[in-house]
Amino acid sequence: MQCGIDLGSRSVKLVIMNPGTKQLAAANVYETARFYREYGQRTDKGLAVDFGALGLPAVTSLTATGYGRNTIAIVGATIIPELKAHMLGASYQTGLTDFTLLDLGGQDSKVIKVRKGRMVDFQTNDKCAASTGRYLENMAAVLDISLAELADYSENPVELSATCAIFGESELIGRMVEGYTTAELAAGVNYSIYKRIKPMLSALKSDKIVFTGGVALGSAIKTFITREMGAEVIVPEHPQLNGAIGCAVYKADK
Amino acid sequence: MTRIGITTTVPVEIILAAGHIPVDLNNIFITSPEAGKFVEAAEEAGYPRNICGWIKGLYSIVVNRDGNTGDGIDKVIAVTQGDCSNTHALMETYELAGVETIPFAYPYDRDYDLLKLQMEKLMGALGTDWEAVAAVKRQLDKLRLKVAEIDRLTWEENTVSGFHNHLYQVSCSDFNSDLTAFEADVDAFLTKTASAAEYTDDLRLGFIGVPPIFPDLYPYLETMGARVVYNEVQRQFAMPFVTDDIVEQYRLYTYPYGVFGRIKDIEAEIERRNLDGIVHYVQSFCFRQIEDIILREKLDIPILTIEGDKPGKIDARTRLRIDSFLEMLR
Repeated sequence: MQCGIDLGSRSVKLVIMNPGTKQLAAANVYETARFYREYGQRTDKGLAVDFGALGLPAVTSLTATGYGRNTIAIVGATIIPELKAHMLGASYQTGLTDFTLLDLGGQDSKVIKVRKGRMVDFQTNDKCAASTGRYLENMAAVLDISLAELADYSENPVELSATCAIFGESELIGRMVEGYTTAELAAGVNYSIYKRIKPMLSALKSDKIVFTGGVALGSAIKTFITREMGAEVIVPEHPQLNGAIGCAVYKADK
Repeated sequence: MTRIGITTTVPVEIILAAGHIPVDLNNIFITSPEAGKFVEAAEEAGYPRNICGWIKGLYSIVVNRDGNTGDGIDKVIAVTQGDCSNTHALMETYELAGVETIPFAYPYDRDYDLLKLQMEKLMGALGTDWEAVAAVKRQLDKLRLKVAEIDRLTWEENTVSGFHNHLYQVSCSDFNSDLTAFEADVDAFLTKTASAAEYTDDLRLGFIGVPPIFPDLYPYLETMGARVVYNEVQRQFAMPFVTDDIVEQYRLYTYPYGVFGRIKDIEAEIERRNLDGIVHYVQSFCFRQIEDIILREKLDIPILTIEGDKPGKIDARTRLRIDSFLEMLR
């Protein structure tokens, strides 16, 4: 069995793939700190993943990627660059070879232009995480609704201008005081994400946009891109597992 | 002898002809183990957080006398046009601190007469003449040829690292404040390089934009199997232009003028040096960041734009972007 692990800042995604059938035998999302604490063991060679404790099928090969790869060596793993893992995952999940990948994760926003199955250009967020899952989590907490609920509102967005995920909280509270409904405020939060990623998407545009990462689980941003950019937005079956799937596919292809 | 601080490359022949010592403030700032503290000191003095880290370093290195390399800086030649408009205010805060400054402006349109006039005014301010300057130019031309040879060895013989290519060329702004010692160092390096093994990195990169504020950029690229064989601005500082006319020499120098002149130079070197990709370094809060739009539009080669703010090692996010870019080129 091939294992792919995407070590994200907010969550660790792990898939087990049958190399013959390329079917997923298991797939899990763990909170990052908990994953390291409960299923990781420090050894001389780096961090060993305790597959027994995870209750997963026996793994014959392991490929990993993610933000953690610069700091944590996973014992026995082939390490591949994060953008490559996401590109491979998106190609595998959609069967497309010409598209633009938009991945919105816990802290990262990535836009990758893919032509003939190869990454030809990319952009990522630099110092600011205000178009990511972490921003949505903060805003959901301010609005006192669930993340899943927040991420679906797209009608009549209120205007939010703060460019910081933290200062955005007080601006949102200001708008609440002005009497906007939760639905309008939530739509405003989603729209502010769309506005931040729009320049990156425009620079690397394709007719087809594959949208992955935890943020793709909500419908609002997909709605904005479709409505305002006229592109076809495809959310694959496992948007959040895309990077881990890319890792497993990389190994499976070897 | 008077130690003259410079904020970027200026006609150094004039400083030397006048019998003074040129000191590139950028070089002493970035090579100091205290570089980060210089930035903090400028912020404590009131420099905004969202202003270029180089400018803050240049401020502190002159104003905080105990941070200087021993002898201090007596005067500063501040390039008010052709480098960075923040230098205007930098100059004013120097004056506030009692440091004498001499402005120098590269004419945007490369006008020969205006450039000549600027050089004459600088000669007047420092106390020298064309004849003395021409003598120094002849001496420096020979040294510049040797540095150009280091550059050739980098891309043609593949025996020089990207970092050494950067280091020797960038040092030509002030020749490390000591011509004799610098020339001896260059000679020794050339001798050592004659028997050096060829680098076998599979990717050949160009580095464009201002010199990086990350000291570990070149070694990091090399650990990832890529080598910089073209340093755009550093090569310009070294001025590998063959001309007897010193005004023309500083007119051929692309860096202080419009971006389109730079693009012609970059295009020729992409071809000549057979580059796989380009790293465009931009400094946070620098107007040159806007030029990234033009470079991306005009240059037909994969470009990775990386941004640096304060001095220090490359951050994890930039490393991730570099890794992905190199993977993309393979």
